[in-house]
Amino acid sequence: MDPYLLLIILFAPFLGAILLIFVSNRQPLLVRAIAALSAGICLLCSFRLFYAYDPDAGGFQFIQRFVWSEELGIAFYLGVDGIGTPLVLASSILLFAGIFISWHIEDRAKEFYIFLLILAAATIGVFMSLDLFFLYFFYEMSVIPMYLLLGVWGSHTKGYLEMTDAEGKKKRDFVGFILNFAANSKEYAAMKLTLFLSAGAVVALMGILLIYQFSGLYTFDILVLREQAELSGTLSWVIWLLVFFGFASIAPIWPLHSWSPVGHAAAPAATSMLHAGVLMKLGHFSIIRVAWEIMPDTTRELMPIAAVLCVFSIIYGGFVAYYARDTKYVIGYSSSSHMGYVFLGMAALDYISLTGAVLYMFAHALATGMLFAMAGWVYDQTHTRDIPSLGGLATRMPFVTACFMVACMASIGMPGTVNFIAEIMIIVGAWNKYPFQVIVAVVGIVLTMAYLFRMMRGVFYGPMDHKYSHAHDTVAWVDRAPLLIMIACSIGYGIFPGHFYDVIRSGVDPLISRIMELTPLVTQSAGGMMP
Amino acid sequence: MTFTLSMSAADLLLLLPEIFLTLWLCAVLTVDFTMRRLPQQQLAYLSVAGLLGVLAILIWFDQTGISGTLFGRMFVVDGLALFFKIFIVGATVIVILVSVDYVNRFHFFRGEYYFLVMMSALGMMFMSSANDLLSLFVTLEFSTFGFYILVAYLRDDLASNEAGLKFFILGVFAAGLLAYGISLVFGETGKLVFADMAAAEPSAGLVIGYLLIFGALGFKIGAVPFHSWIPDTYHGAPTPVTTFLSVVPKGAAFAILIRMLFVAMATFKPAWVLLMVAASILSMTYGNIVAIAQRNIKRLLAYSGIAQIGNVLIGLAAGTKMGSDAILFYLLTYLFANLGAFAVVIAVSNAIRSDEIEDYSGLNRRSPFLAFAMLVFLLSLAGVPPLAGFIGKLYIFVAAIKEELYTLIVVGLINVVISMYYYLVVVKKMYINEPTDPTVLTISTPMKVAVYVGLIGTLALGIYPRPIINWIVDATLMFSQIVAPSASLPVSSLPFGG
Repeated sequence: MDPYLLLIILFAPFLGAILLIFVSNRQPLLVRAIAALSAGICLLCSFRLFYAYDPDAGGFQFIQRFVWSEELGIAFYLGVDGIGTPLVLASSILLFAGIFISWHIEDRAKEFYIFLLILAAATIGVFMSLDLFFLYFFYEMSVIPMYLLLGVWGSHTKGYLEMTDAEGKKKRDFVGFILNFAANSKEYAAMKLTLFLSAGAVVALMGILLIYQFSGLYTFDILVLREQAELSGTLSWVIWLLVFFGFASIAPIWPLHSWSPVGHAAAPAATSMLHAGVLMKLGHFSIIRVAWEIMPDTTRELMPIAAVLCVFSIIYGGFVAYYARDTKYVIGYSSSSHMGYVFLGMAALDYISLTGAVLYMFAHALATGMLFAMAGWVYDQTHTRDIPSLGGLATRMPFVTACFMVACMASIGMPGTVNFIAEIMIIVGAWNKYPFQVIVAVVGIVLTMAYLFRMMRGVFYGPMDHKYSHAHDTVAWVDRAPLLIMIACSIGYGIFPGHFYDVIRSGVDPLISRIMELTPLVTQSAGGMMP
Repeated sequence: MTFTLSMSAADLLLLLPEIFLTLWLCAVLTVDFTMRRLPQQQLAYLSVAGLLGVLAILIWFDQTGISGTLFGRMFVVDGLALFFKIFIVGATVIVILVSVDYVNRFHFFRGEYYFLVMMSALGMMFMSSANDLLSLFVTLEFSTFGFYILVAYLRDDLASNEAGLKFFILGVFAAGLLAYGISLVFGETGKLVFADMAAAEPSAGLVIGYLLIFGALGFKIGAVPFHSWIPDTYHGAPTPVTTFLSVVPKGAAFAILIRMLFVAMATFKPAWVLLMVAASILSMTYGNIVAIAQRNIKRLLAYSGIAQIGNVLIGLAAGTKMGSDAILFYLLTYLFANLGAFAVVIAVSNAIRSDEIEDYSGLNRRSPFLAFAMLVFLLSLAGVPPLAGFIGKLYIFVAAIKEELYTLIVVGLINVVISMYYYLVVVKKMYINEPTDPTVLTISTPMKVAVYVGLIGTLALGIYPRPIINWIVDATLMFSQIVAPSASLPVSSLPFGG
């Protein structure tokens, strides 16, 4: 079975979606069972993949290659390395959890699960593509299901996107002004997200087409391009910037982030989980896979851009999250802020920090997934996400409160969770090169603590409004299982990160060596300086 | 110049599909006249059977590699012609299937409707074989006359009459341009066959003549600035005719355009590349931007069609064999997606008698199948993977980037995002909005078949296009010499050159 693991992981959700087309909405249990089964197969195989990946051998493993078009130089080419493997695992954990989180969706459940499965399968496809064409293919394919998931099953943001400080004074968002019209409908959020991501995607596609043309190889094969493409000078800068900003818009890096929190806030819980958990990582992953692998020299020259922008991401995201009133908006901005850490870890171009960044992507997927799952539960029970009007829910839902506490701890980077290891590696790895950014990152951790505790207090503690006295805790196993799975992974890998570290390191080492060894190591300049 | 019409049985074989179709459409007409009580559905199925027969012959031709020229090289059967004939006949089958219910809205001449559709198809089959200026003119007019009648087929409907008149006046004007252009080109070169004209020296008369011919063909494909008839004609014409008009004549016109540009005008390549780039940018941008404001689904698809033609023109601007392959592939993806989208429009209009986008609200609740099909077709038109339109766009862009047409690609990519918006607006109506009237829509069987054909084609071409791409690459082998821009072409080595 092992050689076909990638095919099984990729096609299990697709086949589930196709099967669902032929099932009637009048059999809700069958619909859910098929979705859960295909996600379950996907999850089991991902675990198998994770442990079957041989870190000593390194490189791309479980390779599958089928020629798709000789004329265009495209092959259906799958394979994972130490960077892709953990992300595949994260996607399938979140998909599995997401299926159960949305167990109670009544309206058009069949269609919901079809789009959710396609979304997850497409993201998984990106993480295992070794062909630029298919990388883009799956990337773009993940965008459209988001539109429908948000638009149909999402919820309006109802005007509490505005921000207030502790005294109830209104705050204005002066930094995130770019294309932020703050409309409150889910349709607006969905359209904004789709157009933003599509625009980012076509920018990246332009870069990919230029690689195709100027490598002179007329192939989309990443491994061939990595070995043979020689791009240099202004041209490689142009291509690199197109690829970087095209993919960074989904990551989302600071000036291109404004679609993301609105999208999070409007999306149903399972979609937010996948969106924040893995969809955003498509950006980082694609930058590594396309820009880094194919243009190592240019990466060394231009990556400081990310080191500059990540400061804004971290600080700005943190402050907005602190003042936001909408629970999902808080978590959404916290995600944008935390993605800044990943960019910092990448920008330092260091073995330790990049390992930390990849691990952070995994860790953040679990932590944010839990936060969104619980915000979704609270919303389902109370039909509001407005923090000031909530409160005291801990008495009504002790289990959710406990899980939320764990998720907050994980998000902050409490020792014992996998986030702690990731954060410490990013900070240690980046310190030599970007001390200023590291200090910002530490401030960011304090901010994270502040806004998460503020939300915690506002939602679960304090006096409770009586209209929420009917709210109840998760009781059924279908509601508790996904939370427990995510907590188990977060803490389990936090205590035993050994295999994780080995796997990621096996992917990071050759990459960083390739990027850095090409020039003598004189890049100990002060942080954030442009080359 | 002497025409000696000495034909053998082997020559007649090349005409077999056309002869077969001619006999069949006479038979359909005769059946209609003699058996007045026969329901019009039976005539439709009879027509479909005949067209499927023609399709079988064409596929047999393609498989066995039957090719050659006739009538002093006026008529050519080669890979390109066969591709477009299969394209035309296949699309006509779908058009007849989607017409079956709609024809009941005509009060008179129901049987003749199928006759006229097939006659136009016949004209376009000849068009894709046209290899000189005379046959170009005759076949183009032959195919258009059927449309003049079809567009105005709803006799009691003012919009349909207006559309017919508009189409007729502008169409005749375009025919005038074409005739004048042909006379100028013939006067300058003294040649009629495309391949013979390739050696002509550039002169003012020749350039004007070619420009006039381009104008006429631009009118056929509806490229900006010759697009003005499209929205009103599409809007007013009976929807199955719009369906027909939006896909099939464009394919036939591209057959002629490819032949003219790549064979007759190969030496002028740098000049016409500029023209194509300009027409492409204008069509894409104009079509997409105006489509945003549309409230009627037929008008929306009309403007989106203008933009799609702009995309196809990128392939012509590339002007290489790969460019022509990309055009052929793109037209196929356009065929499935556009015919499918119009099939859904007809199905909805049969049920609720409205083409307003507003009335598509909640279609997902009223008919999940139609809503899903429309979703797939619109996303394919927008170019979203894993659907056919994405591969088509990528193919075109790859062909263009090999010719270093960067500006064109940038404009094309920006337009992809713009078009995403208005397609998603329709998706939003169908999926997100609630229906005002929640009754379930019923769909007839022929309609379902047509929609399924569109769905299967759109998905298959998107997921595994390799066999089709290989077929297309073989079909245009004769253009493999056209690689160097403006290099003098070894005309005699072309299969229809000597």
